[in-house]
This record gives sequence, C-alpha cells and structure tokens, in this order.
Amino acid sequence: MSLDILNQEPFRFLLSFGAILFLVLNLAAVFTMAERKVSAYIHLRFGPNRVGPRGLLQPAADVFKLFSKENLAPSRADIWVFLAAPIAMFLPAALVWLVVPFAPNAVIADLNVAIVFFIAMTSIGALGLIMAGYGSRSNFSLLGALRGAAQMISYEVPLILSLLGVIMLSGSLSLVDVVNAQAGGFWHWYFLPQLPMFVVFYIAGLAEARRVPFDLPEGESEIVGGFMVEYSGMTWGLIQAAEFASMGLISAITVTLFFGGWQPPFEFLDLGNFNWVWFGFKTALLVFTFQWVRWSVPRLRMDQLMDLGWKILVPACLIWLFVTAGAMLLFPSVF
Amino acid sequence: MVIAFVFLASMTLICSLGVVLSRSIIHSALFMSGAFLGIAGFYIMLNAPALAAFQVLIYVGAVTVVILFGIMFTQKPQAKHYRTIISRQLWPGFFVALGVGAFLAYIVTIQDWAGNEPGNGLRSVEAFGENLLGVNGAPPIFGLLFEVASVLLLVAVIAAIVVSRRRVGDGVDRGVEE
Repeated sequence: MSLDILNQEPFRFLLSFGAILFLVLNLAAVFTMAERKVSAYIHLRFGPNRVGPRGLLQPAADVFKLFSKENLAPSRADIWVFLAAPIAMFLPAALVWLVVPFAPNAVIADLNVAIVFFIAMTSIGALGLIMAGYGSRSNFSLLGALRGAAQMISYEVPLILSLLGVIMLSGSLSLVDVVNAQAGGFWHWYFLPQLPMFVVFYIAGLAEARRVPFDLPEGESEIVGGFMVEYSGMTWGLIQAAEFASMGLISAITVTLFFGGWQPPFEFLDLGNFNWVWFGFKTALLVFTFQWVRWSVPRLRMDQLMDLGWKILVPACLIWLFVTAGAMLLFPSVF
Repeated sequence: MVIAFVFLASMTLICSLGVVLSRSIIHSALFMSGAFLGIAGFYIMLNAPALAAFQVLIYVGAVTVVILFGIMFTQKPQAKHYRTIISRQLWPGFFVALGVGAFLAYIVTIQDWAGNEPGNGLRSVEAFGENLLGVNGAPPIFGLLFEVASVLLLVAVIAAIVVSRRRVGDGVDRGVEE
C-alpha cells in the first residue's frame, strides 16, 4: 500500500507529533470556552454569548486576538529564558498525550514504561515555571515561581506514590496493559479497590495542574498572576494552553488509570473501535469536576498546602500501599 | 538514525559547554537540564526507554529543579566577567582534565564493546539489573543494600530538618534581640 510510507520512522513520528499538537491546541481552546461557560452557569450568568450561536465561536475570536497582540518583554528580562519558558511548559504537557490509549489499538506509542514517562514529563513542568518566573526579572514572577517550585516538588511525591497501587494490581507500567486489566464492567475499574489512591491522585493532580485550590503560583488576588504576570500576546496564550492541556492530561491519565480508559461501563455497551467515545465522555466529566472544584473551593495558604501534601496525602498513600500489598499476599486468588 | 545522533550529540555538547562557560549560574543550571535531556535521548536510541525516563525524572525533573529552587534564594547569581569563572586554578584543572581524558581514552580502546548496534551486543546491563534485584538466581543482598542506603538518606534528610529547625520564641536566627 502506498500509505505504508507514513508508517516508516521519520514520517510516523512527524505525523503523530503533528496530530498531538493539533489535538492539544484545539483542546486548550475548547477547555477555555468550557471554563468560561461553566463558571458563568455556576455564577448564574450567561458567559460569552456574542460570537456565534450561544457564544460557541468565542475560542476562535480569542485565538485571533492573541495572535494579533504584541509580545512585550520587560526591558531587563532574561530574554532567551523568558521566551523559552512557555515552550518548556507546553511541550511536556503535549508529549504525554503520545502514550495515552484513546481506543483499542489507538495509541501512538505503546511504551512499556508509559507511567514513568508520564511522571518524568510532569516533573519537567516545574522547570518551565521556574524559567518563566526567573526570566521575567519581576518580583511577583519570582514569588510565583518560588511558590510553584515548592508546590510541584512537594506534590510530585503523593502523585507518584498514588500510582503504585495501580501498578501493583495490574503488574505493568504500560497504560495499554492497565486499561486491558480493567476490562469487563465498571466494578473491575481500579477506582473501587484503590479509592484512597484515586482521591490522592486527583488532589495531587489538581496541584500539578495548578488548578484552583492550589493556584498559589498564580494567586491573582495576591501576586497578580504570579509567574505569568509579564507575559502578553501569544507567549501568554501558550502558557494558558499548557495549563489547560495539563488539566485535560491529568483527567485523561486519571480516567486511564482508575476508570478503565476506553472500557465501557457495561459489556453490552461495547462500541468496538468507537470506544473512544467512552474515553472522551469520562475525560470530559472529570474536566468538569475540575472546573466545579475551581468555583467551589477557596485557595489554600502555603502552610496548609504543605501540611495537606506531606502530613495527609503521603501517609494515606503509604498506608493504602501496605493494605494493597497485604491483601495481595493474603488473598492471591482474588487478584 | 545518524541525524538523530548528530542532533543529540551536538545538543549535549553545546549544553555542556554552556554549563561551564555561562556567566549566570541560572543559565548554567538550565543548560545542564538540556545536557541531561540529550543524554536521555541517547538512552532512547540505545533501546533503554526506562533508563531515559528515569534520567528525565531524576536529573531534569528533580535535581535541576531543586538546584534552581536553591539558586533563586541567593542574591546575585551573576558573575560580571569571564575571569571570575575560569581563572582560578587553570593549570591544575587542565592537567586533571588531561589525565581523566587519557584514562577514559585508554579504557575505551582496550574494552571489547561487542558491536555497536542496539540490542545485539552483550546484554550485560540486563544481567546487572537481575543481579541488583536478586531475580533469576542472583543473591537478593544487593537490593537490600540499595534499600538500606536509601533509608540512610531519608534518615539524613530528617536529621537535617531536626538540626536546622527553629523553636518557637528562639529569635536567634534573624538577629532579633529578645
């Protein structure tokens, strides 16, 4: 077949990379729209309602506005670090989508260490945040970056620990294997035996995506935008895209690890190759809960943040890790 | 394959040079993360994606971030002149570098590398990993030693926290008179 050339190495990589960029950028636009609409309905407002039917074309107008704005940089900024920071924030969030299984056989790279790859890429996000905060040469930015670095270093620990239960149950680091191990109805999904781990992962994921109870690096009412205060135009747009992409990513990974990925809730609802509908539905539902939390919960203080991470989430993870290991030793027939 | 190698090699070399030649210590740390990423790319080319992922996780995501986090607390992380960063102990450094280079060159030339294609050479890394984890008949003592070492590190970290902890009403640390 003539299309086989697209499955050869340089083309396959370029094609999948392009597809991922297309997906992530559009996802960011759609999530921006969803964020504004959900917040509006929670506030009993209408939200954006001028561009297109019910304001649905607002993202297109936003993108056009961002592209036509001037990119300003502070005159004393460290210009290379300043300009590289949005890329360093966006690329890791985009690259992890390479290993997410969307449907049966629909995964771009079935890595056998996909979960480690996800953790590694998440940990680079803190680097981009520090680059943005330092490169701007502004005190607000530096404060935001310091807060962000402390937060992301701390919450990486419960994030990684909460994955261990799923890894032990499925016996694999590959996301495809994890999804396949959850086949056969929603009572086989890992959120039931790993409920505490799921809660910890969800909270730590909120913190890694810097969503609202954990938005100290941004802290609009305290440090007026934190690490991104000096950005404008499309560099700011790229940072926003990275934030929304990582929100979608955390939701997708949560769905994959704890809610069976593309597995339908009941076996008779199996859609074959169209099971990506289930994956998309569950991911969208989780993204909605992220937005719901944002408009319901106040921001944590720095000491509360550290207490929650180190004194509650980490011990909870360790305890449930021992419970899981003990259960697997005592009742090997169940697992 | 060759293009990828040239790209990764030049990225690693340029970033390594940037680490030593940059005047700003923040730039040095950022260049260092670039060099680590290049090395992770080499691991992927050598069919060891797990090693690459751990390289990125530990060196880029943890070590560099902690270094940057520490640097941001310091006052002026910028040297004014290149003399400040290169002039000290130039000749002893030169001879040490020469000695290390000669030693490495000697090791590289006498070693039998058993082919240069990924996956076809001696799988000594695999045997090494099995020995370390104590599977396939290897004694499990090395894994235990590894874990003991990591627990020791944890104890050291907790001890550092205890030693540097301020008690309420201490007031000494900021020079405040009681």
